[in-house]
Amino acid sequence: MNCTRRNFLIGGSTTLFLSGYFPKISSASMKKKNLIIISLRGGMDGLTAVPVIGDKRLKKLRKKLILEDVLKLNSDFGLHPKLEIFYKLWEKNQAAFVHATNIPYTGRSHFDGQNLMETGAHIPYKEKTGWLGRGLLASNIIGQGLAISLPMPLLLRGVPQNNNFFPSPDFVETKLIDQIYSEFKGEHNELIKSTLDTIRQRPLSMQIATDSDDRKKLALEAAKQLKDQSGPRVAVFDLDGFDTHTAQGGVDGAHADELEEVNGIVTILHENLGKAFDNTLILTLTEFGRTIKQNGGYGTEHGYGSAILMAGGLLKKSQVYTDWPGLKKKELFEGRDLNSTIDSRAVYNSAMSVCFNQDPEYLRKEVFWGDELADLSQELFKI
Amino acid sequence: MSLKFYRRVAFGLSPNEKQDKDPLNWALNQLNSIPDLLWPGTIPTEKELRKKYGEWVYGDREVLRKKFKNDKNAYKKAKDELRIKTGERYFELNEHAIRHYQTRHSTQPVFERFWLFWGNHFAISEKDFLAEFSTGPYQREIIRPNMVKTFEEMVLSVTTSWCMIHHLDNSESFGPNSKKGMEWRETINENHARELLELHTVSPNAGYTQEDVIQLAYIMTGWSHKWSRKNLETGDVWFDQEMHQKGDKIVLGVKYKNDAKRELAKVIHDLATHPICIKFISTKLCRHFITDEPTQEMISPVIEAWNRSNGSLTEIHKAVITQAYKYNETTHKFHPPEIWLMQLSRMFDLSIPLSAKKMNYAFKSKPTSKQRQLSWILREIGNSPYRAKQPNGWSDFEIDWVSPELLLRRFWFASIELPILVKSENNSHDFIIACLKNNFEDYENMASLIHQFRFGTSDKDLGRKYGVICNLPGVLKV
Repeated sequence: MNCTRRNFLIGGSTTLFLSGYFPKISSASMKKKNLIIISLRGGMDGLTAVPVIGDKRLKKLRKKLILEDVLKLNSDFGLHPKLEIFYKLWEKNQAAFVHATNIPYTGRSHFDGQNLMETGAHIPYKEKTGWLGRGLLASNIIGQGLAISLPMPLLLRGVPQNNNFFPSPDFVETKLIDQIYSEFKGEHNELIKSTLDTIRQRPLSMQIATDSDDRKKLALEAAKQLKDQSGPRVAVFDLDGFDTHTAQGGVDGAHADELEEVNGIVTILHENLGKAFDNTLILTLTEFGRTIKQNGGYGTEHGYGSAILMAGGLLKKSQVYTDWPGLKKKELFEGRDLNSTIDSRAVYNSAMSVCFNQDPEYLRKEVFWGDELADLSQELFKI
Repeated sequence: MSLKFYRRVAFGLSPNEKQDKDPLNWALNQLNSIPDLLWPGTIPTEKELRKKYGEWVYGDREVLRKKFKNDKNAYKKAKDELRIKTGERYFELNEHAIRHYQTRHSTQPVFERFWLFWGNHFAISEKDFLAEFSTGPYQREIIRPNMVKTFEEMVLSVTTSWCMIHHLDNSESFGPNSKKGMEWRETINENHARELLELHTVSPNAGYTQEDVIQLAYIMTGWSHKWSRKNLETGDVWFDQEMHQKGDKIVLGVKYKNDAKRELAKVIHDLATHPICIKFISTKLCRHFITDEPTQEMISPVIEAWNRSNGSLTEIHKAVITQAYKYNETTHKFHPPEIWLMQLSRMFDLSIPLSAKKMNYAFKSKPTSKQRQLSWILREIGNSPYRAKQPNGWSDFEIDWVSPELLLRRFWFASIELPILVKSENNSHDFIIACLKNNFEDYENMASLIHQFRFGTSDKDLGRKYGVICNLPGVLKV
């Protein structure tokens, strides 16, 4: 019982690897492409981040959450003023948005929803690996995932030897690990053992102590690593606090504070990736959007459709990519939420295919069980 | 019988404790009564701390923000002074001290392990100023006294506690057809209702629908804090009839007649005695004490005890311990960082927490770095107990706790911080060996491992010894 998950994680991958299951790719000769995912936990309100300014209904339903100083993207959509880096990049064709999109999950539980946004599955808690981990595995990219968080996010699980960066206050002598490494015997110690392996192979720059409370410093280190041609190709940031049932606010307020965090991370990445930004895709991920209507506490409830914020030089052009479902009562999901007309997994699958140099059809089968997911790489990304 | 049982169900044995001839009875006998809190320092009541919470939010929101609206720096300074005056930076440190003093010294450590379990099952996650003022006293005054009652009584207490109601926004939930709902055109906030179903009782396995969540939220409308101009949201919990949704409600196919405040106890009775709830919680208990994926065979006796005793937590706890004993040799369980720290503290007689005298606070300046030490360690090892990220609390799965950074931090703590916490009279190699002997059958292997590495006698080498020992597979896991 206890070993099934571990088997999949370690044993499973090794077997697949050895049996030559993977298509041969010569990624070494190609320019390294980075994929960065920023998880926005709690339910990011797509209509706060990218408000539909062309529809008066939104203002009517959200009297206490009105946004002023919205940055205008086009006649239909605006951008939250705290997302200024996206606006700057928008003007250079390096920012875009997918709107009215979500994972195919219509329950309204954070825990089920976050589990599914990471596994990419249909039944909560059924899959024990993340779509990004499986995508890396299917692309034979091992040991090149980097999480900027203390626990390893589910999103990256499924491929061995990922790293995370969230340094402790002091330098730790890794020779201590070498000394007890051989004590980890037996199947029940496999997971710890393989994690110790990863620590032992860490680059020196990751062995320093820094202030892990400072997200900007962490983003800086991530940028440094991603810039390195032999460094990680995938990074995952984890933000929470998007669950604004009360005092959600407009330009300022709880949701704006969180968007400002996203803006800060993307700003640092953009500044420090340098030329590597041209070969980078940054995408956000959330479990659901929020209700159209404000609630009793001037916040919003758990909803359905949300938006994906995207940045990076691998974007095709600046655009709000959407099949807009409308805000009339009958157009809303269950009469209350923005509908989702694009399965967000199609966006992620296409992004992986671009960054990992894989056929999207192949990834769709390997990562998402062959689910119907449109190939959006032509529409959204440079290929 | 393996010594690891003492770590599986408690915190290991301190240097002055010896193993019992009958470990199972040793453990079972600890579950009949609620041990007193031993912390010799101040233990403020929930009500006192809520008053402080009120002073803090009122002072900041209603006074300082208005007074200094044009002077950011003066505002910041005044706010810092208010933090000190209201203990905003202090009380959480004191709560950690109370908690860790208890797990370090309690003569009923097995009971304490269940205390940690239930506090995490009915978790209060990081929100507003709950960790600063309320989560600690909630653990002491809501969770703890209910641990010798029934599960149903515990759920009712938790659901109507100020802390949980604030945590899950129930005061913002208005019945749309209630007096206030109609007047103010307000509606429900589903947050609390959903978590009562999903996390606290039946779990999604019960197959409830969105309509069930809405109906339960209707039943819960009115259970709110009493708002006042002076106390803002920190008033006592009451049932506000004018917020309550009128009419009959149906949850999971059961009809609850329009009965105002009495509806809640009725629905909680049905949820807390629901077979799927019993199975869900029994599984969680076995997961905590036995192994990540407990088998039906492990769980069944707990479910039977639950049914036999009508949900008596004492009987349920005893069944869990009996199962943990039965499977002690054949299963493995990885411990999250805080329990690991508590075990190291007990086994090596560390000076955690700081003495009550030194924890004393005069509300005149910032807490000292010594006073902040334990809380800082907890945060750095990734497990600050009253700051779970989400209402589902801290994970009990190994996979959520094993990452390069989290493991590195255990090495960091054991080799760098732990040696500072070893009492000066214990500062010797022999002491380490004696502690190992007291807690591990294979202490000789562990001792020879240290020997092999040829560590010297410097402070740094002592740290290295602890760094190695505390992270051996048999210490990270039972």
